[in-house]
Amino acid sequence: MSHDDHHSVVIPAPGPEFKPHTVAHHFDTPVQEFQSAKLGFWLFLATEILLFGGLFAAYFYFHEQYPETFVVGGKQLDWRLGGLNTCVLLLSSWTMAMGVRAAQTSQKKKLLMYCGLTVLGAAIFMVIKFFEYKAKSDHGLFVFSEMLGGYDTATGQLPWFTDIHGVMAGVPHGHMFFAIYVTMTGIHGLHVIIGAGLIIWIMFGAAKGRFHAGYYLPVDLVGLYWHLVDLIWIFLFPLLYLVP
Amino acid sequence: MSDAHDSHGDFGDLQMGTHHVSSALQFTSVLIALLFLTIITVAVAQFDFGGANMLIAMGIASVKAALVILFFMHVKYDTAINKIMFLSSFLFLSLLFIFTLADRATRQMDHRAHTIKTPVASEWVHPNTLNSDH
Repeated sequence: MSHDDHHSVVIPAPGPEFKPHTVAHHFDTPVQEFQSAKLGFWLFLATEILLFGGLFAAYFYFHEQYPETFVVGGKQLDWRLGGLNTCVLLLSSWTMAMGVRAAQTSQKKKLLMYCGLTVLGAAIFMVIKFFEYKAKSDHGLFVFSEMLGGYDTATGQLPWFTDIHGVMAGVPHGHMFFAIYVTMTGIHGLHVIIGAGLIIWIMFGAAKGRFHAGYYLPVDLVGLYWHLVDLIWIFLFPLLYLVP
Repeated sequence: MSDAHDSHGDFGDLQMGTHHVSSALQFTSVLIALLFLTIITVAVAQFDFGGANMLIAMGIASVKAALVILFFMHVKYDTAINKIMFLSSFLFLSLLFIFTLADRATRQMDHRAHTIKTPVASEWVHPNTLNSDH
């Protein structure tokens, strides 16, 4: 194929409720378009693994340093809520996988339904997380309104860690556990919110009939992003809620 | 074009190439396995196996992660280059962990850190003042 002729390749729609997909002009074939995007997205997901990897390295380092702090800190978290959220995310990963499958098989209504259920899972997860955070904030274990405050040089206190009930009084550097807990779950939660936004974006495209057996690339990529969110939580749950 | 071997179905050469469609049964089986392993994770955490608790917890989490990666993320059916791209991140991750934990294991620790009585806020000392009285 000559690169001089710029007629675009069009993937036909499999039915009247769908739209044809025009391959971007800088790609010769739909296969090339799909593989290029997919390779780029896997590279992005690799950088995500390394982003969280740095946080996990910090966790393991300080867990070695102050093991009793992490055990006592972990007991302040409710493993039942963490376990419930684990199940919610696993279920939402299943609905997302089923959604991608619906796109691959040109089932528009099923794609919309499974995407909607996945967003519902994301919402339930964040609501549970909100109440967990609120309880921690109320007990002075991580005061969100003070989260950017450093040491008060006059008193030597951390404004975001007041530990009202003194639950961490018996272990050294009790604030370390909660700093790591909030950083890791916070960045994870940000991914949940971004992922839910992307899935809603997919739903708009799906409603217009953009995704079908001939073209489901964006659904596939957003699905991978959502599974990564699940993947990270699979490790966060035992490390934070059931501190070994 | 040499993409013909990637093509299936009604779309012929216009098909996108990698589109293994997993069965719903496979996804549901993976979900049940993941939920079951979550129960196991909580169950084993109730027992004290000493240092083995961390290894057991991370072992179960790794099995769960493998299920998500292979089946939900379709890596089992993906192209070799995509497999290498994603799985290589775990290679670099292991380098990060190995050198970080090797540093921790071989460092002469300041044992005073473990004997500081309490982190109760009112008794904290600002880190900058620790070395200031020569």
